[in-house]
Amino acid sequence: MSDPQLATREVLWNISHVWLMYALLVPTVATAAYGIYRRVQVWRRGQAENRFDRPLERIGLVLKYALLQLRTWRKLYPGSLHAMIFWGFIVLTVATTVVMIEYDFGIPIMHGYFYLYFQSFITDVFGALAMIGVGMAGARRWIVRPTQLVYTGEASGILVAIFAILSSGFLIEGWRIAATNDPWGAWSPFGNLVAAASRPLMSVEAMKTAHLATWWTHLLLAFGFIAWAPYTKMAHVITSTLNIYTSRLAPIGATLRKIDFEKAEKLGINSLAGFTWKDLLDFDACTECGRCTAVCPANLVGKVLSPRDIILDLRKLSRVPRGDFAQSYVGTTQALSIEAMWECTTCGACVEACPVSIEQMPKIVDTRRYLVMEDAQLPETMQQALVSVETRGHPFRGTVFSRVDWTAGLNVSTMADALDAEVLLWVGCGGALVERNQKVVRSLAQLLEKAGVKFAILGREEKCTGDPARRIGNEFLFEQLAQENIATLNRYQVKKIVTSCPHCFNTFRNEYPQFGGRYEVYHHSEYLAKLVGEGKLSARTPSDKKVTFHDPCYLGRHNGVYAAPRQLVQISTRAEPIEMEQSRSNSFCCGGGGGMSFIDEPPNQRVNQERARQILATDADVVAVGCPFCMTMLEDGINARRGDRDTKVMDVAELLWQAVEHASSSGGRGDRAENTKPEI
Amino acid sequence: MNIVVCIKQILDPEIPARDFRVDSVKCEAERGSANLVTNIFCENALETALQFREAQGGKITAISCGPEGAEDVLRKALALKADDAVLVLNEAPNADPLFVAKTLAAGIRKIGPFDAVLVGREAGDWGAGQTGGLLAEELQVPCISFAENLQPSAASGAVKVKRQTDSGWELLESATPLVITITNHEKNVPRIPKTRDVMQSYRKPLVKWTLAELGIDPSTANSYYRVAELFIPRKETQCEFISGDTLEAKIDAFAHRVTDCMRSM
Ligand code: SF4
Ligand code: SF4
Repeated sequence: MSDPQLATREVLWNISHVWLMYALLVPTVATAAYGIYRRVQVWRRGQAENRFDRPLERIGLVLKYALLQLRTWRKLYPGSLHAMIFWGFIVLTVATTVVMIEYDFGIPIMHGYFYLYFQSFITDVFGALAMIGVGMAGARRWIVRPTQLVYTGEASGILVAIFAILSSGFLIEGWRIAATNDPWGAWSPFGNLVAAASRPLMSVEAMKTAHLATWWTHLLLAFGFIAWAPYTKMAHVITSTLNIYTSRLAPIGATLRKIDFEKAEKLGINSLAGFTWKDLLDFDACTECGRCTAVCPANLVGKVLSPRDIILDLRKLSRVPRGDFAQSYVGTTQALSIEAMWECTTCGACVEACPVSIEQMPKIVDTRRYLVMEDAQLPETMQQALVSVETRGHPFRGTVFSRVDWTAGLNVSTMADALDAEVLLWVGCGGALVERNQKVVRSLAQLLEKAGVKFAILGREEKCTGDPARRIGNEFLFEQLAQENIATLNRYQVKKIVTSCPHCFNTFRNEYPQFGGRYEVYHHSEYLAKLVGEGKLSARTPSDKKVTFHDPCYLGRHNGVYAAPRQLVQISTRAEPIEMEQSRSNSFCCGGGGGMSFIDEPPNQRVNQERARQILATDADVVAVGCPFCMTMLEDGINARRGDRDTKVMDVAELLWQAVEHASSSGGRGDRAENTKPEI
Repeated sequence: MNIVVCIKQILDPEIPARDFRVDSVKCEAERGSANLVTNIFCENALETALQFREAQGGKITAISCGPEGAEDVLRKALALKADDAVLVLNEAPNADPLFVAKTLAAGIRKIGPFDAVLVGREAGDWGAGQTGGLLAEELQVPCISFAENLQPSAASGAVKVKRQTDSGWELLESATPLVITITNHEKNVPRIPKTRDVMQSYRKPLVKWTLAELGIDPSTANSYYRVAELFIPRKETQCEFISGDTLEAKIDAFAHRVTDCMRSM
């Protein structure tokens, strides 16, 4: 018996009345199937949406995020415990399937090395890992108790059930090894431990009796769990895999849907009836992990907004038997309150953090659309900004500047004059009309000129791209602006656009294509990095300041541009930027997106001050930014928080211009020479 | 109650100062790239009417006197749920207040019987503040100016109007019909329309009458007054140092200089 080629074990040793197992399987599968069927019925009530294109990419997503759990891993402790349970279950399921193939299909595969290495050793180890994972989860849920978790009896019940299934499995394995004196017992180290512990305490007969009873208990537990799972958050085993397969393939910045104003019966969404099947699937895919709320800047500074609870409360509504999908959900819970809807900065941190690709933020914008367009209900200052966009083409009510004031003394022409312009410099409202940001566009224009780029601006013909209108929920206004701007751009046959505003950048890149406007779009950091790379700009006098970089949400998370601005910092200072405690895809919003810069936040709940704290903690001399909204939000935040440390906010273009300009023969600061050329 | 609200389209008063130019020959402001908007006090007047209708019922007709493009401000009024809209087409750019009052009066008479006509207390472009009073005269009804609020009265055929004065406010009761000029108040901040209503406002009927149809002679557009000169005030500063040997001498010289200046003004 010592030939490993012959190694195996007797399937269903000690078990009689096996037919009972098969009989029980029928109601088990039926109950589980009914649970899934009920969910599917709910999804079928949703609006249509195509999420099945490009299947290869989708399979890739499933491999990355479902099988390898790349997003889950981002948090080490919960990531590893989840991976242990998940992979434990995968291996145990495969092992059970192997038994089925051997026993039910009569194909002898449970033999030899395969039996020893996989069926015994690997299965045993992964079972143990799953036990450890459950223990870690229990410790987190019952001892550490982080606020991001949802504390329900169901969640505790699931942990207890998994623990009972696993431990009963080890017991029956151990007793079988001990009672049959299995020569290959050592290949199942943990089962063998049970065997070793039981031998001195129990007779073979006692072990056989205990084995028999525990085997049936194990079976009942496992079958019961399978039947119960689809009615609990464990349904995520199926729903989240589906959700990952059907997730958005475009960047986060392209996540908002167009409205067909001709056909839409209701503008925006205030009831389940407005959601697509994919939104309804989103609700069911939620694992209640709370990562979205844990990264939500609004939630972190103490506001009521909680993306997790928005999803869970909508899910609850969608599960009301024969529920009325036309009933408004707005204001039915705290998470779905009007107040919460107006706290979102649309930073996308929730979407990025969700391990199962749920899209929380678009649901907030959908609700805002309803509030704004059907109910005309929005915070007054946001309303004023939109009225200004509507009548003046920019949201900065009361600005004393015109769109071209910033060009005074510079050699900047408009598209109407410069017929040979190859690049449109899109200045943006924030760049042209807010004094501090005018310095940024001045630096940028001078850099472009120095690099010999043939560029021009639209000047007075430029209008808001519509980003604030779209984020605040006035899709109608956004669409008007998009059409007007696209007409202007097409009139000048614009092909390439460079802009220093990530919001404009995102709108051009991801949203105007919805309306037929397709351009080659660069954020100024990308374009400047390209110019430096081509040798058209060089930083001969880099500064020795310590610089940290704040990722703008609409550049980083929404569009995946992380390297270019860091490269500019590196070029301008000859040092990599210092990274803050939250950066890149995990960056923390400045508080200004989603129209929030037009709202007066309560003094004790300001997102920009929390970010300022993170900035000041790096002890940097300068925080580099790449967005006009970040510029003003962070300056305010730092001013409110600053102790004796004088950390300056500078755009990456200003940093680069300083480093380039000092080397030039003309010398002098970029903001001089106000009177060399008349205003255009 | 039948309420007529007069609405004027004006050049956006929030043009940045540096962008504001005037045409001194034509004696009018240059439009440049600025937009045309609804005069804010007219919006307050419409809001007052909407609130009155919400509480008491009735009908609101919006009327404007201006070029084709003034249709925009009437569409906005329709989006805010005014029942009807009438545009009296007048292409004369700087029609004087009497001409406008006569035109509006003719239009209002053509609309039919009314109980109250609400107008903004003045327009944000010229700021003359005369149309309301002249309109009342033309219609031969009383006029209450600088009102912030309109309430029903216990007596039939009358309304209560709260008007602002230099020293506070007055509550007046007046028989209808009448003209009321409306000023801004925290209670009549204009609402914003629902997008659905904006979309529908383009499908609602809008009546257009020409001056000829109302029997108004367009050549009288500037017979009441004419703008003689239009310019942006120039600010000049001059700096001068006062000299003197002692402090007293300096103060003395300074005092003399100031009195000289005042005399020459
Ligand atoms: S987009 Fe940002 S602010 Fe809005 S819910 Fe998500 S994490 Fe919170
Ligand atoms: S929405 Fe996603 S991140 Fe948020 S609790 Fe659910 S699964 Fe977790």
